[in-house]
Amino acid sequence: METLKVIIKTFEDDKDVVREFEYTGELNIPVTALLDEINYRYDTKIHYSSSCLQGLCGSCAMLINGWPKLACKTFLNELVMTKHFHRITIEPLTKFPVIKDLIIDRSILYENMKKAHQWLDDDAKINPDNIQFEYEVSQCLMCGCCLESCPNYNVEEDFMGVILPVSSSKITAQETNEDMLKKHKQIYKKHFYNNCVKSLVCEDVCPMNIPTQRAISKMNKKSIWYIYHLFKQDK
Amino acid sequence: MDTKDVIVIGAGLAGLTCSVKLAEYGNHVKLFSPSPSERSQSVMAMGGINAALDNKGQEDSPSQHYTDTINGGQNINNHSAVEKLTQDAPTIIEWLSNIGTSFTRDENNNIDQRYFGGQKKKRTVYAGARTGKQVVTAINAMARKYEEEHLIERYIGWRFLSVLLNEDDKCNGVILINELTDEIKAFTSDCVVIATGGTNRIFGKISGSQQNDAGTTARLLRQEIKLANLEMIQYHPTTIKTPVKNMLITEAARGEGGRLYTMRDDKKWYFMEEWYPELGALMPRDVVSCSIYKVCNQHNLGIDAEDYVYLDVSFLPEETVKVKLDEVYEVCTKYLNLDPTKQPIPVYPGIHYFMGGILTDDEHKTSIKNLYAIGECSVQYHGANRLGGNSLLGAIHGGFIAAEEINNQPEPNKNTNQLVNALLEDELLEYDHWKKSQSSDYISSYKIEQELSDIMNKAMGIYRDETTLKEALNQLEKLEEKEIYSHESYYEYILIKSLIQLAKAFIISALERKESRGAHQRIEYPEMDERYQKTTVIQLINNEYRISFNDTDEKMGW
Repeated sequence: METLKVIIKTFEDDKDVVREFEYTGELNIPVTALLDEINYRYDTKIHYSSSCLQGLCGSCAMLINGWPKLACKTFLNELVMTKHFHRITIEPLTKFPVIKDLIIDRSILYENMKKAHQWLDDDAKINPDNIQFEYEVSQCLMCGCCLESCPNYNVEEDFMGVILPVSSSKITAQETNEDMLKKHKQIYKKHFYNNCVKSLVCEDVCPMNIPTQRAISKMNKKSIWYIYHLFKQDK
Repeated sequence: MDTKDVIVIGAGLAGLTCSVKLAEYGNHVKLFSPSPSERSQSVMAMGGINAALDNKGQEDSPSQHYTDTINGGQNINNHSAVEKLTQDAPTIIEWLSNIGTSFTRDENNNIDQRYFGGQKKKRTVYAGARTGKQVVTAINAMARKYEEEHLIERYIGWRFLSVLLNEDDKCNGVILINELTDEIKAFTSDCVVIATGGTNRIFGKISGSQQNDAGTTARLLRQEIKLANLEMIQYHPTTIKTPVKNMLITEAARGEGGRLYTMRDDKKWYFMEEWYPELGALMPRDVVSCSIYKVCNQHNLGIDAEDYVYLDVSFLPEETVKVKLDEVYEVCTKYLNLDPTKQPIPVYPGIHYFMGGILTDDEHKTSIKNLYAIGECSVQYHGANRLGGNSLLGAIHGGFIAAEEINNQPEPNKNTNQLVNALLEDELLEYDHWKKSQSSDYISSYKIEQELSDIMNKAMGIYRDETTLKEALNQLEKLEEKEIYSHESYYEYILIKSLIQLAKAFIISALERKESRGAHQRIEYPEMDERYQKTTVIQLINNEYRISFNDTDEKMGW
C-alpha cells in the first residue's frame, strides 16, 4: 500500500482547474483504474473516455506526467515520477479542444482524413509481400498521441501529422486507380511532406508501435522521389 | 425506387456496415454513436470470421458451417437466418478483402483459415491477431467516402432515449441525448436501425467495451419491444483476472494448439482431451466453460485450490505466440506480468457475449414496425451458444441484410410533426423533473451499479438455481425503489434506472426456461427438454413482464 498525490488539471469556462486527491492503495494498476477509484472513493465524477480498457481503442489518450499515453495501459508503478515522487499529474491532451474534464474533441482528425481522400476508389490490390506492413499501419487508433508530441502539428496550417502517411501508405499500396494515386501523392506532399521536420517523436510515442518512419519513407518514395522510382522499377 | 432517410444507432461493425451498404444503394444515413468507430467493441475481436471458403482442401461447405452453427446453438437459432448467414459468409469475406482488409495469407497466398471451437474444419479467416480492428479500419475508410459524399452523416456523443412512433405505431425516428451537454433532440427518418452491441453493463466490468452499456435495449424494453433469449449469456472459457477487469484470451490460442490442464496427483491432467477426445479444448464454448467449472467446483481440482485452470501455449513455437497470438502475449505480459511463451496462463470462464437481446426475425425486423436491430444487440444467429468466429460474421451480415431490406421496402410513411413534438415534450418534462429533484443525499449511482452487477453475476453464473434467481428478483425490486444520485449526469440516472428493469427481464427469462441448454444450465433441470426448443420472448407491458416461448423462425409480420 502506498500513497499518491493525484493532481488532475482540467479546463473549464476558459480557466484552468486543478483538483488534488490522495490515493492510498495498490500501485500495480493502470491510470484508468486510478480514475475509477478516485471517482468511487470521493463520490465525484471526473469525466474521461474509455471503452476497451486494454489498449485497443485509443479512447483514453491523455497526458500523464506530461507524456501522451493511453491511460489504460500506463501503470502507476511504471512511471518514474509517480514511483519516486509519489505524485501523478493527469491532464487532457493539449492540441484538441476540451469537451469535459479529460474528454477531448478529435473531430478535426476525422475531417482531415476525409479532406485527404483516405479511402479506396477501386477494389484493393492484394500485395502478399506487403500484408504485414498494411496490418501494422491499420492499427492506428486515431488517439492523437503522435500529434500531441509532434512539434509541427497545430503550428503549420496544412499539416495533418503522421496519421496521414500511416493511412496513405496502405491506401496507395492497395489503390489501382491511377488518377487517384496521383491525387494521393499531391495530398501527401501538401499536407505532410512540406512541413514534417522529422523529429521522429511520433514513432516513440505511438501506443501501437506503428512503424511511422517506414510509412513516411514509403510515401516519400512514391510521392517525392517518383522519378527515381520510375527508373529504379521498384515494386 | 426512391431513396430513404435512415437512422443508424451504433457505429461498431454492424452499424458501420449497414450505413455503408445503405449509402451504396444511394440512401441517406444519419449515424449516431457515443464515439467514433475506432472505440467500438468490434475492434476488440481478435480471433476471426467463419466462412466456408474451403481454402484448406478439407471439403468444407456452407452447409457444414450451417450444421456446426445450429449444433453449437443447440437448435434454438433462427434456422433460416443461419442458412443465409452461412451461405453469404464467403461473399462477405470477398467484400472485406476487396475493400482492403489485410487478411493473413497462407504459403500459396490464399486467405489463411484456422480451427476454431465447435468446428471440425479450418474455417476461420483472420487478420493477424486483431481481426476486428483490421476489418473496422477497412470499412471505416469506405464510410469516409460516403461521408464526403454526404450520404452518411456522423453524430458523435449521442445516446439513445426512445423511438418515435407515428399513429400507425410505425417507428419514424428517435429521441437522443448528448451525454455530456444534456441536449435532448428528436431526429426523424423513414426507419431506424439499432446496432448498439451487447448488454455489458448490467454485469459490471466484463471483457467487452465499457461503452456497450445496455442502455438502448433497456430503454426499448420500456417501449414494449420484445426481447429474446436473455438467459443465453456466453461465458468465454478462458478469461484472466487483471487489476482492470476480466480480459479475454482468444479462442485462437486453442485453435493454434493451446491445451487446458489442471494438476491431479502432481501430474498434468488434460481434462478436455480426456472428456472429449475428438475436439478436446476446442469444444464449443459452453461445453468448455462448464468443464472448467466442474474441474474447479465438483472435482475441487482448481490450481492452488482456487477457481482457475491453466491454458498452456508455452510449448508452441515462440513465433506462433508472439505473432499469431500477439495480443495474448501482450495482455499476459502487460496485465499479468507473465510470459506465455514460458509459463501457463491461469484462466477461468467469464462473461463475454450475449446471444440474447432484441428479438428479430431473419430479416432483422424487430417487433416494432420500421425498426431493425443488428449485431450483438439482436437475436437470431447464435441460439443457446455462439461459435467463435461467428460474431464478426453475424455483425457484418446483419448490416448487409438490414440495408437490403430497408432498400427494398416500399415508399415509407411520412412523419407527423405534432406527434414528434409531443413525444419530445414528454422526454424534456422528465428531464426537468430530474433536474429539480436530484440530490447528493441519495445513494451514489456507483454503489447502485455495483450492487446491480453483484446480484446479476451471482444469479446468472454458469449454473443457475431457482432459489438464487428468485432472491435476485427480490433484491432487484428493492434496488429499483432506491433514489439515485448520479453525479449531475441525467443519462447515468436514467440508464441505471432502466438497467434494473432490464436485469429483471434477464432473471425472469432464466427462471422460466426450465431446462439446461447451451449457455443456460439449471441445477434443478439438468436435461435438455424438447418443449423448450423455442425462443424465450419477454415483453414489459404496463409494468408486467410477459413471457412466452415462440417458434425460432417466427416472422415479425410486417
